[in-house]
Amino acid sequence: MDDLTEMLKGTLEGCVLQIVGGEETYGYAITRRLNELGFADVVEGTVYTILLRLEKNGLVQVTKRPSGQGPPRKFYALNDAGRAQLATFWAKWEYVTSRIDKLKEGGE
Amino acid sequence: MNFWETITGSDLTREWKAFESRVEELPPDHRAAWEKITGHLSVYSDFSGRNLMPILDGALGLLEETAADGQSVHDVLGDDIEGFCAALAGGERRRGYRDRWREQLNRNVARKLNQLGG
Repeated sequence: MDDLTEMLKGTLEGCVLQIVGGEETYGYAITRRLNELGFADVVEGTVYTILLRLEKNGLVQVTKRPSGQGPPRKFYALNDAGRAQLATFWAKWEYVTSRIDKLKEGGE
Repeated sequence: MNFWETITGSDLTREWKAFESRVEELPPDHRAAWEKITGHLSVYSDFSGRNLMPILDGALGLLEETAADGQSVHDVLGDDIEGFCAALAGGERRRGYRDRWREQLNRNVARKLNQLGG
């Protein structure tokens, strides 16, 4: 699907939180996961800026680990604040989708 | 950072040199992307550019990691390097030196016009 980016913008941070919440992971792996899900337009640079924001807002714990080649990689895991934020994201998502579904079905 | 470095910006020169030697290690297309990134980010600079140093360090780190992975610049940054830079610099456009110059110019013009009685 083309032009999903605009619609995704507000939710991408939640998606990244969810992926990081599963297991400790790094930017490239997160991007690949989103691509596999069908969000083909998401590039590593986008994920990188989201991870920076999460880091700045104190929602993730960052660990540098040596990689097989090149510079050490930054690995991300959720801390307590991150898990709380993730729960908030799903609550908001629930709210928005239920309203939009209602609209689509022609309810009140 | 000591006082001398703050005044002369010599610490920045040194950091910038360190960036440049890292950039030389990058493949050509990553190096070209770096040029674009520094260009786009410069509008977010404060007067000395000190605020950009950690941002640039992170962006360079991303280029280094992805070059080591063998990813192309397009895979990493897509088509929108400007948007990437805006997000890096903190979402909305931050007030940079250009904004201040613009304001100053506007003020001066307004004052001149008042003097002319316009």
